[in-house]
Amino acid sequence: MEIEKKREQEAAVVSLKGRMDAVSSPEFEKEMAALIAEGNNALILDFAALDYISSSGLRSILTITKKLKEKDGKLLIAGLKGMVKEVFEISGFRSIIPIFESVESARSQI
Amino acid sequence: MIKNLGLAFKLIIFILTSTTIIFVAAFVYNYHYSKKTLLKNIEENARNLTLSTVYKIETVLRSVEEVPLNQASIIEKYPYQRQDLLKLVQSAVANNPEIFGSTFAFEPYAFNPTLLYFAPYYYRNNEKIILTFLGSDSYRYFYLDWFQIPKEIDSPVWSEPFYDEGAGNIIMSTYSVPFYKKIDGKNKFRGVVTADISLMWLKDIVSSVKIYKTGYAFLISQNGVMVTHPEKQLIMKESIFSIAEARKDSTLRQVGRKMITGEPGFVPLQDFVSGKKSWMYYAPLPSNGWSLGVIFPEEELFADVSRLSKQVLLIGVVGFTFLCIVIAFFSRTITKPLGSLARSTSEIVKGNLDIELPEVRANDEIGKLTRSFKEMKVALKEYIANLAATTAAKERIESELKIARTIQMSFLPKHFPPFPDKVEFEIFASLEPAKEIGGDLYDFFLLDEEHLFFVVGDVSDKGIPAALFMAVTKTLLKGTAEPQLKPSDILKRVNLELCQDNESNMFVTVFCGILNFKSGELLYSNAGHNPPLLVRAGQEPEWLELPKGFFLGVFEESQYDTKKVELRSGDLLLVYTDGVTEALNENKELYSEQRLLETTRTYPDNSPEELVNNVVNAVKSFSKEVSQADDITVLALRFKGIKEDSPYPGFFQYA
Repeated sequence: MEIEKKREQEAAVVSLKGRMDAVSSPEFEKEMAALIAEGNNALILDFAALDYISSSGLRSILTITKKLKEKDGKLLIAGLKGMVKEVFEISGFRSIIPIFESVESARSQI
Repeated sequence: MIKNLGLAFKLIIFILTSTTIIFVAAFVYNYHYSKKTLLKNIEENARNLTLSTVYKIETVLRSVEEVPLNQASIIEKYPYQRQDLLKLVQSAVANNPEIFGSTFAFEPYAFNPTLLYFAPYYYRNNEKIILTFLGSDSYRYFYLDWFQIPKEIDSPVWSEPFYDEGAGNIIMSTYSVPFYKKIDGKNKFRGVVTADISLMWLKDIVSSVKIYKTGYAFLISQNGVMVTHPEKQLIMKESIFSIAEARKDSTLRQVGRKMITGEPGFVPLQDFVSGKKSWMYYAPLPSNGWSLGVIFPEEELFADVSRLSKQVLLIGVVGFTFLCIVIAFFSRTITKPLGSLARSTSEIVKGNLDIELPEVRANDEIGKLTRSFKEMKVALKEYIANLAATTAAKERIESELKIARTIQMSFLPKHFPPFPDKVEFEIFASLEPAKEIGGDLYDFFLLDEEHLFFVVGDVSDKGIPAALFMAVTKTLLKGTAEPQLKPSDILKRVNLELCQDNESNMFVTVFCGILNFKSGELLYSNAGHNPPLLVRAGQEPEWLELPKGFFLGVFEESQYDTKKVELRSGDLLLVYTDGVTEALNENKELYSEQRLLETTRTYPDNSPEELVNNVVNAVKSFSKEVSQADDITVLALRFKGIKEDSPYPGFFQYA
């Protein structure tokens, strides 16, 4: 999985590409933890190029959500599609994480 | 082949080959350069020698020429009588020891109209000077070359050498100067003044030229006739051309031509007497157009160079031998420790790490190599010891994991049919564990005489923590499930329990249901699990509509709902984990819900056991060689129902 980070004024935008599974999610978690430690309280995850998410990927997102919650931060997800979108629907992630069509619309909500 | 030879031998070969090439090149260059330089010096010397000899001869010839030239001018200027002429000739011979004889030879009747011949000739004979008169019927001197040629060409000329048979059988040459008388303002030829010289003195001068051991000089006349030569039988009998002809030596012929045209030169040739390779310098005698050749035998010429070359070669050979010995010795000192190192290391390769490596004293590359090998040996030994320990530890952990796995699997109900006396439904489940310990679970049990509780779940992680979490979940579910509770209530309670102190953020997806197998009413709830397939008897499989519900173990406040569906006789429910739909093949394609749907559609009438096995096999043959990443769990439940009008309870029908 490729992780691309952009630190913008309102939020850090993280674009993910490929597969978030048991192999790639620990790295993802580490990178996000580093971003939060830097003081980025709002994260927008751009899932437009993410093909797959496994349960360990979901767990990483949960972990980050919890971390941000402790700091009164926000996690927003944009660009859900395909299988990832289905997983979000089934798992009920939709009900706990705000989902947006695009990064722009997510940004406008911060 | 070379690569099989020892290092010492290779060293010797390579060093000696290159040294030989260098030495030979230097030697050849030196040899040729010395030869060239020597040749240049020799040419210089030869020229000097030849020209000084030529000069010596020339001096004599010039002094001889003076005499008849003077006499000719005297009788052209002054009137003379017979006596004057005799006196003139006599004094010329007497005053010039080089002159053998001299005469005034007149044209027929020119001196005296009555005399056909008039040529008073004075010559030396045993210290005396004798007078004779030339000319007779047998000696018509005015037809001879020495008379004819100067007459014809109107200038003095040296004759070809000739044997003078009348005067002591000596080789002579005559210088003839024509003289004239002015008649009516015109010069009219009257005769020639001659001076004969013996060529004996020439021989002395020429043979005094000695070069090296066998070098010599020779003189040829204008026609190429041998005038002097160390080989006496050649003199006057052979010419350079006749010799060239006899020897079929075209070089000699060409040289001869150059000689008689008066050119000087320095050429290599074969000595026409000894046949040895030689060099020759030749130069003309300007007075008479004769040519002096000086022969240098090449082997003597280059004797010094050859001697020097032999010495250099000898030094080379001695040097080579010495170099050989040095290299052999030196390479042995290198290769010997290398050899023993190679033997020791081949022992190491066999696994004998206790072998002692050879002692090293030197601090050169071989010393370093040996020390490195020593270090490597020690490191290898340590590494192997560590590896053995690690492997043992790993094996212990693996066997413990295996035991944990076995315990985990033993949690799951595995006896089928589980309720042989319950004819209203059939249930079958299978969990194919991934290589790594996983967190799938399934369970089913009777809540009372008409309610069956069943559940399929998937813990978000893998390994021992997931297995423990799975065990906890399963235990909580079993402990919580009661006939009075709806599935959503059960999930809510289990969630609360799991959320307590769940620092690891581990979670579990769960689908659970309670089937009233008397009525066919199915209540179910979901916590983030994949939607099961509902296969209505005789119809296409469809995805079961799920209530919303988040994973268990994350948020205490999560809400769950219960949905209801009426099963009719023959309806089947297929519950599975994402190990099925997310199994990968070698092209990184997912098995996917679509394929699951297809597989299920293909076997509509199978018993739950067969359907479960078919699905598992289909997934496995889809993945082929790709190792299973996640547990694969499939549970199938078929409601048979009881035919209302059946006379025998327990006799049921399929739709």
